[in-house]
Amino acid sequence: MIQKFLDYLRFSAKQVNRKRMRVLLTALGIAIGIAAVIGTVSLGEGIRYQAVNAIQAQSDLTLIEVSADVRDGTVQYITAAKTAQIASISDVTSSAPVLRDAWASERQTYLGVMGVGAEEIAGVIDPEYMTGRAFAASSREVVLGHDLAEKLRRYEGMRLDEPFRVVVRQYDETGMPEDQRLDLIPVGVLQERGDQFDNLMLTDMSLVRDIRDAGGISDSVLVRVNSPAAVGGVVSEVLALGLAANGAFEEIESVNRLMDLVVLMLAFFAGVSLIVGALMIVNTMITSIYERIGEIGITMAVGASPADVVSLILFECLYIGLIGGIIGDLLGIAFSGLINLVGKPFVIAQLGEAFAGFESADITIITPGMLVMGILIAVVLSLLSGIYPALKASRLNPVDAIASAR
Amino acid sequence: MSRKTVIEAVSLSKAYSEQVTALHDINISVQEGEFVSLIGRSGSGKSTLLNIIGGLDSPTSGSVLVNGTPVDYTDQKALIALRRGVIGFVFQDFNLLPTLTALENVSYPLLFDYHQKEEREKRASALLEMVGLSGRKDHYPNHMSGGEQQRVAIARALVGRPLIVLADEPTGNLDSKTSDGIFELMREVNREEGTTFLIVTHEREVGRYSDRTIELLDGRVVA
Repeated sequence: MIQKFLDYLRFSAKQVNRKRMRVLLTALGIAIGIAAVIGTVSLGEGIRYQAVNAIQAQSDLTLIEVSADVRDGTVQYITAAKTAQIASISDVTSSAPVLRDAWASERQTYLGVMGVGAEEIAGVIDPEYMTGRAFAASSREVVLGHDLAEKLRRYEGMRLDEPFRVVVRQYDETGMPEDQRLDLIPVGVLQERGDQFDNLMLTDMSLVRDIRDAGGISDSVLVRVNSPAAVGGVVSEVLALGLAANGAFEEIESVNRLMDLVVLMLAFFAGVSLIVGALMIVNTMITSIYERIGEIGITMAVGASPADVVSLILFECLYIGLIGGIIGDLLGIAFSGLINLVGKPFVIAQLGEAFAGFESADITIITPGMLVMGILIAVVLSLLSGIYPALKASRLNPVDAIASAR
Repeated sequence: MSRKTVIEAVSLSKAYSEQVTALHDINISVQEGEFVSLIGRSGSGKSTLLNIIGGLDSPTSGSVLVNGTPVDYTDQKALIALRRGVIGFVFQDFNLLPTLTALENVSYPLLFDYHQKEEREKRASALLEMVGLSGRKDHYPNHMSGGEQQRVAIARALVGRPLIVLADEPTGNLDSKTSDGIFELMREVNREEGTTFLIVTHEREVGRYSDRTIELLDGRVVA
């Protein structure tokens, strides 16, 4: 069977070789379509790559916040057992259960509070102190995020190591507010981080737990993953526990979703030219069959079955597809290079400062997968285009075919 | 001497429409190893009869038995098997494939019948030698004379070791000297291999090579 396949391949090669120029022109029709698809897809992929890189450079990708979620109508709280399960997920280097609360200063400045274990938070966010030090366990010491500290210092006269009064509003059984005043001691200010910690007040978890009367449950767990590549796996394990996961990785996910759509749309419009290429193949093969009608008749008269005739013609299309795919890949690489050369200054001018990083990088990316896909699409399209001509040839009556060739 | 009947046509008719009838109630039989010529004027139906016997065309009524088996014209597989192993065709225009060498043309039918390349080429070489073209294996048809091309075509017809060779005006496009050579070749194959030949021709003189002549006139057997 393989022997027969190779023989057909060789025989069809001879037919293709006979009409070199025509085959080349037909293949070029497909090739231009493939080149257009590769060029546009490479641009889309290049922009995706740059956008993801920009996000990676600006954000802390390996930090995930795992929170309670509602599954099948029941709230999946983060219990101590869940916390332990999260900590034991592979690729999780450290984790810290967190309780959140909202307090206010006496001048009604909103204070987002995160209660967390003093040692655990160090493992997860690796805090660097602009001034001061970490809060001690089981104390009323707090550490302030960069922006929050700046605000309190400027407008409320807060000073490190001096008591700072906050108001904790709670409600009694009749729904009446009941304010409790606490004197906290700011002991440290974090460096600017560019994330939620810039506006948070960190304190020991036991303090928040007492105030909220939260028992053994936490609001969320901060998780540090050992590499950006492992984030996806950790997130899916978290979801399997019935919990939700948030983090900077979501930005990348949404960029990817957006770019998937953009690339698909670009490829679709570029791919319209492939239809023209396919019609050229249909046309070429039908012409070729009319020219060789006598040969096909003879082939059938000497014992070829209709299936043999179909195979021989489809093998010719296979060659057209391969040639078209390879030329298309080469043209696509050239096209992509051209977009990079001509399009880059334009793109940078349009996108402005934020995308200045494009200057040194390529805005188009060609992957081996794209090139393989290019050839595959060309071959599949050629074979599909060959089906009608091949069936037409296989249904010829040998006597008429031989007679009409005279 | 009673020999096996390899071709038998029984009240065979072929009509293209109510007005155009190619064959009327033909009854002929050919014995194994016979060399029979089928003569008649142009349009007498001889090519149609040949095509029906070879399974390339189908009759309107009547039946054909090849090697004792009725030909089922509705069974594509059986017809293909008939063309592959029982019947070899030789055409007026030689009808070699221009992209293939002499050797490849001869071995071409074996391509469809699952023969190994070495086996195909060995068989084709032997046949080219038999038709006197062993030195032209690698030549393409357009570099060969008409007589040489027809010799290649005869070798191709014989490659599947057919019981019967059907030749449709095999010398129609050749001068008389070359024609003689072709007939002598076919006669030789007939004698040495025992292959049955049924040859359509409009040249009466071919009769001198034949065991027997069947003449058609307006779709009827007249002699």
